[in-house]
Amino acid sequence: MTAMAALISILRKDLRLELRSGLSTIALVSLSLLILVVLVFALPASAQRGAEPAAGALWVALIFSGMLGATRAVLAERENGCIRALLLSPVDPATLYAAKLAASFIFMAVAEIATVLMMVLFFNLDFGAGILRLAPVILLGALGFAALATLLAAISGRTRAGDLLLPLLAVPMFVPALIAGVKASSAALAGEPLAAMAAWLKILTAFDVLFVVSGWLLFEFVVGED
Amino acid sequence: MGGALKSWIGAATGVLMLAALFMVFVYVPTEADEGIIQRIFYFHVPIAWVTFLAFGLVAIAGVFYLWLRQDVWDDLGYAAAESGMVFCTLMLVTGSIWAKPIWGTWWTWDSRLTTCLVLWLLYGGYLVLRALADDTPETARMAAVVGIVGALDVPIIIVSVRLWRTIHPAVLVTRQGSHGLEDPRMIATLLVAMAAFTALFLWLFWLRFATLRARTRISRLRLRLALGEIGD
Repeated sequence: MTAMAALISILRKDLRLELRSGLSTIALVSLSLLILVVLVFALPASAQRGAEPAAGALWVALIFSGMLGATRAVLAERENGCIRALLLSPVDPATLYAAKLAASFIFMAVAEIATVLMMVLFFNLDFGAGILRLAPVILLGALGFAALATLLAAISGRTRAGDLLLPLLAVPMFVPALIAGVKASSAALAGEPLAAMAAWLKILTAFDVLFVVSGWLLFEFVVGED
Repeated sequence: MGGALKSWIGAATGVLMLAALFMVFVYVPTEADEGIIQRIFYFHVPIAWVTFLAFGLVAIAGVFYLWLRQDVWDDLGYAAAESGMVFCTLMLVTGSIWAKPIWGTWWTWDSRLTTCLVLWLLYGGYLVLRALADDTPETARMAAVVGIVGALDVPIIIVSVRLWRTIHPAVLVTRQGSHGLEDPRMIATLLVAMAAFTALFLWLFWLRFATLRARTRISRLRLRLALGEIGD
């Protein structure tokens, strides 16, 4: 079986599981909804509309729902020793990483479309071109977070209190993408020219490349057994 | 292990630290603009250097552990992370003490301060991983991966945080490129303080490293005892 075929079959398994249970997507979307509602209550009335608070709220929702999704994905693989079976199969750990990354990315992207719609409603923004220009920012952010969280969730899943450990490891590492994502999103929502976003998109891209490549290379060290 | 070396590093730390204290409080002239508080600079900068040295060691130890799979590299990375964390905390504390009279605030989201705080959180996470995981080869591999990925993340953190604060209006006017060390006595004091803190780090690091090595050897002996290879 080639690496590509293996990747597709693992990804198909994850997508089929998700289509039948809907667990990850429902959890991600409902948690995002709750975070947005909490933030609207937490913010002063003056900050309840406009591009900047909306961008901030969107990324808070992205980080915390993403964390939950990553923990879920690892737990699902640990149930019934599925991860061991995957490791015993003639599949390269790097391929396994790519498949898990692709699955998390798809779930996060779906959840984010829903989150963006809710954000537009809650923060009194317009459904316009700004939303479309948000797409590359959100997709790059989701890819970076999925790459980071897939690697780190494999680590935290093997320790006691792993669900506690994951945010402690993931949030500081995600800081550059978070800063770039919030800044680029608020520029996109405020209708600023693309040049205002360019530097931030570069940082997001650099972050994505770094974590996809290091996850790809290092995943075998965190899932392997001696 | 390395008992004599440990004593020598300890002695050197003591001598250098006394010399640094003398130079900082007696020898070096008071800086014209900031006054007496500027003397904390001779502690703050060496502490910052040692922090980066320690966190660099964590990443290097991680690479060597994944490559050679010898537990000496794992112990080295752990010892470097723990002693680095001590100096990272000291860097934030001394910086805060310096910032209050000069900038008028204990804390500000300036790019360097933010970077250091993020570093502190990052290696705090690393140490929590060490604390929560059992002492196994898997943990050593996972810690090595986190140490490597964390170090690779640092340049992106620095770039993004700097850009974050240059686009926003600056909360304060940061010092110009030069620290105003016109007096050669200032440079001499800084160099001695650098040596003193590097020696202090090496000493603390070596004490911790020796403890971890002993722990690893004990657990290996216990394993052999349990397997019946030795004893009786």
